[in-house]
Amino acid sequence: MAWRSTKETFRQPALVGPSMIFPIFFAALGASSFSRATSLPGFPKVESFLQFSLAATVVQGVLFGSVTGAAALATDIQNGFFDRLLLAPTSRTGILIGRLAGSAIFGAVQAAAFIAVLWPFGATIKSSFGGALVMVLSGGIVALAIGSLMSAVAIKTASAEAVQGTFPLLFILLFFSSAFFPRETMSGLYRNIADVNPISYLVEGMRELVLVGFSTSAMAKAIFIPTAICVVAILIALRQLRVRLASR
Amino acid sequence: MSTMRSAGQISLRNLRAIPRLPSAFFPALLMPIFTMIAFSGTFYAVTKIPGFPTDRSINWYMPIGVLFGSSFSGIGIGFTTIRDIETGFYDRLRMSPAPRNALIIGPLFTAWMRTVILNLIVVPIGVALGVRFEGGILAVLSLLAASLGMSTLSLGWGLGLAYRFRDMRAAAIMQLSIFIGLYLTSAQMPLEFIDGWLHHVATYNPITYILYLARQGLVLDGTSHDMSWSNTWPGLLAIVVLSGLALAFARRGLDKLDK
Repeated sequence: MAWRSTKETFRQPALVGPSMIFPIFFAALGASSFSRATSLPGFPKVESFLQFSLAATVVQGVLFGSVTGAAALATDIQNGFFDRLLLAPTSRTGILIGRLAGSAIFGAVQAAAFIAVLWPFGATIKSSFGGALVMVLSGGIVALAIGSLMSAVAIKTASAEAVQGTFPLLFILLFFSSAFFPRETMSGLYRNIADVNPISYLVEGMRELVLVGFSTSAMAKAIFIPTAICVVAILIALRQLRVRLASR
Repeated sequence: MSTMRSAGQISLRNLRAIPRLPSAFFPALLMPIFTMIAFSGTFYAVTKIPGFPTDRSINWYMPIGVLFGSSFSGIGIGFTTIRDIETGFYDRLRMSPAPRNALIIGPLFTAWMRTVILNLIVVPIGVALGVRFEGGILAVLSLLAASLGMSTLSLGWGLGLAYRFRDMRAAAIMQLSIFIGLYLTSAQMPLEFIDGWLHHVATYNPITYILYLARQGLVLDGTSHDMSWSNTWPGLLAIVVLSGLALAFARRGLDKLDK
């Protein structure tokens, strides 16, 4: 199932393309637009704005890409393929986990691709290849976490449109965090929202790996926050699957 | 039936579609509000960079939000035109004795009315959140002129693509091209603060000057972006040229559809 899900994702460039191209486009725009902002009080010490935005680019791409897998699951439910799978002599949980594993693989590939594209342009990673590997792993876990949440929506609604409709929520979650600018430069209510948004800590963990190097806090933020979300999200998705099977 | 009367009837039909199909209009309304709040909150600190033309981030980012919304008001009508083509309604419309130009002028009136509604909602929200119109009533009129211009050229572009593709593939191209066209400007930072490739692209992108027109009444007096004729005429010229080209593109597309 994981292999089918991965192949299915890569066979649809029209769906995959935007989640690969837009984050790089925004990174390139930001690098040109905000180069002077790096000298602002509260801004961390960086070599370039591109280096600062690498973590946000990875998280942005992975968040948007994770919608693709869930939308494909909804399509499988809509066209009856999911029902045929349920007739197969295999674990029902395995069917869902297999699809989610496909999302995780795609997330990790996306993270690796963003690092590979932006590193030569000045987005150097202080924690070197080890840090890059942690970011790739984190990308996979984030994709698994968000993919699970989106899959819960797909199983509940059986509608690809409903899954795509959650996209603006991800966009809002990302913007109301410290993904694009440091929290230290924000103020008021916006700063308070960014302070409680888990995306802020996830991005800051990855950013620490890029700008500072290895540390326990960076690893904890980059790996443990998405893992915690992931566990809860998988439980929600499995519960939705059980509800759906019980209603048949 | 005269062109204007037919255009009025078509426009009325499109306006009636707003409550019937809110999903086609509300993204255009929510987008500027989201852009205004998200950008001014995230990039709040950029106003502290020496030489930044305003001390309020919301003053800088509201116009780009309004232009996004106005553009999506225009291409939103492109989406409904695709639906009309797919359902066969457009064939019936083309067989009616309505003059051909009315099929473009009618949607144009709708796009303008949607843009005015959008401004009537977004601008007061902006003012409530701290926007200050440094240039007074002229500043409001500049913003309105720029947003009507963007909705005109987006409508022409959207209709032209709808007539040529005749299916939802055109919708993706409409959104993507407008999105990129607006971002490859001084959308995020003043042109003189932008480095590298984007500086060159934004300098030659005519939409940058429409953005200047929209923003000129919202920046501080005495800066290079303030209310002046030199910040007005390039924007007006860009609107006239781009709108003319886009509407001609739409008219040629309609002729192709007829053939």
